[in-house]
Amino acid sequence: MGTYYTEGPILSAENLGVKYGDKEIIKNINFQELDVLRPGRVQGQIIAFVGRSGRGKSTLFRCMAGLQQPNEGRVLIPDLKQEPVAGKGYPLKEVQEGDVGFVDQKYTLFRHKTIEQALHFAMRKEPLSDEEKEAKINQYLIDWGLEEVRNQYPNELSGGQRQRTAILEQVLHSALYIIMDEPFSGLDVGNVQSVQNAFQLISQTHELNTIIFSTHDIDMAVNLADSIYVIGYPTLEDGNLEPIGTIVKHYDLKAEGLAWKDQMSQDHYDLVEGIKAVMMGS
Amino acid sequence: MLIASLWSVLLIGYWFLATSGEKKLFPPPSKAWEGFKDLYNEGLVVHIASSLGLCLQATLLSVVFSLAIAYLSPVPVFKPIAKALSRMRYLPLTGITFYLAMVVSDARTMQVWVLVVFMSLYFITSLLGVINDISQEEIDHARSLRCSRWEVLWEVVIKGRMDYVLDVLRQNLAITWMFLVTVESILVAAGGLGVLIKNSDKFMNHGRIVALQIVILLVGLGIDWFLNFLRKSLFRYSTIGN
Repeated sequence: MGTYYTEGPILSAENLGVKYGDKEIIKNINFQELDVLRPGRVQGQIIAFVGRSGRGKSTLFRCMAGLQQPNEGRVLIPDLKQEPVAGKGYPLKEVQEGDVGFVDQKYTLFRHKTIEQALHFAMRKEPLSDEEKEAKINQYLIDWGLEEVRNQYPNELSGGQRQRTAILEQVLHSALYIIMDEPFSGLDVGNVQSVQNAFQLISQTHELNTIIFSTHDIDMAVNLADSIYVIGYPTLEDGNLEPIGTIVKHYDLKAEGLAWKDQMSQDHYDLVEGIKAVMMGS
Repeated sequence: MLIASLWSVLLIGYWFLATSGEKKLFPPPSKAWEGFKDLYNEGLVVHIASSLGLCLQATLLSVVFSLAIAYLSPVPVFKPIAKALSRMRYLPLTGITFYLAMVVSDARTMQVWVLVVFMSLYFITSLLGVINDISQEEIDHARSLRCSRWEVLWEVVIKGRMDYVLDVLRQNLAITWMFLVTVESILVAAGGLGVLIKNSDKFMNHGRIVALQIVILLVGLGIDWFLNFLRKSLFRYSTIGN
């Protein structure tokens, strides 16, 4: 098991619930993720949400990104404008629209902006000079293999280039948190690898960088994440499922010694089977 | 392209064959050619220019008005106005021309405003369709980059759909171009293709009528091609119809 310590909370949901009209989509969502520190290395966090279709993952993600106001409860993230408290991290604040980067499964971009224009737009509110922004964008374009297509529009990009641009846009927007709704959906092997590499790049760039993603690929979730939440329908006393999404199980891969491994072991595969069983029952 | 050319040749061939006998429903190509020469000598080019001028004037006014209404439609207070104007496309124009005649002094202005009203109602309808088709993902993407409501309107709705505006204009101009002939016949003195076709119809000159129909079709297709070319040239990202 890699040695690690935890500090104050980096993401917290308190009694979150969303209704569309009379229909409750999610309710009683409660979880807290603590900042993880690993001696001698920068370690961001990767959190996966898995669950069967229609259990409210996308609704939960929109709430966490501040794009949807929950009917009850709240989502909290650190307020980086305040001073951190020793051993407790930053004070928390309610998430606002724009605090958290959001990448949907279609990797939506501005259709009328070239990659370079899109990245400049993403950085428009950063307190940097034009030269500094230009230098930062140039460096990222090189690091992310997008330099040659910097003047191209989204419709002229390959799938992989489009994904990297959509993620990079959020990274440059200074979003320490990036939520990705099913980022591996419909991708070929090469593009899956490209997104996986982007995950590693982001999590090793800044201590507070946190990627939150959903997927139907449980192997992928176990391989990449250090914390996995299963969203499903809870079982009622009569044995039936209540059709409102909530967190039915949490797996802390750090505590189980399964996080940050280069290769999947038998324990990982056993965990995959365990998660699948929980999903099928919810 | 080759297949389309082949069909055109077949159609022209059929025209020659079908009008070669004694009894014919349609004037032969030779009559149409004679009609075309007559029209040319009577100043066909000037009449085409007059029609294009009228169309351009009405289009510019209509575009400004329709875009203002359509872009304001996401703002809740303006939504009912935009919807109501869109529904007024079912209103018969006869009624509108009567009231316009009471407020407008000269006939040319009357022609312009009849066209503006007619065009705008269809243009607003199409633009509202374009705006409604903007996906939630595009709005969320802009909001996740801390765009204010006005920035979302500017970046996603206005700048992000300029190519669609040009395409909507292209499609609606086809309807306007057809209607133009009717509007031009309101005022004979102002000239235009509508006047020429009305005069030819009055004297049962079928060769001229066919020649004029072909001219109107070709000018219309020219406008269509130009707007499509303009869209593709100005907006490299545009994938409409690809």
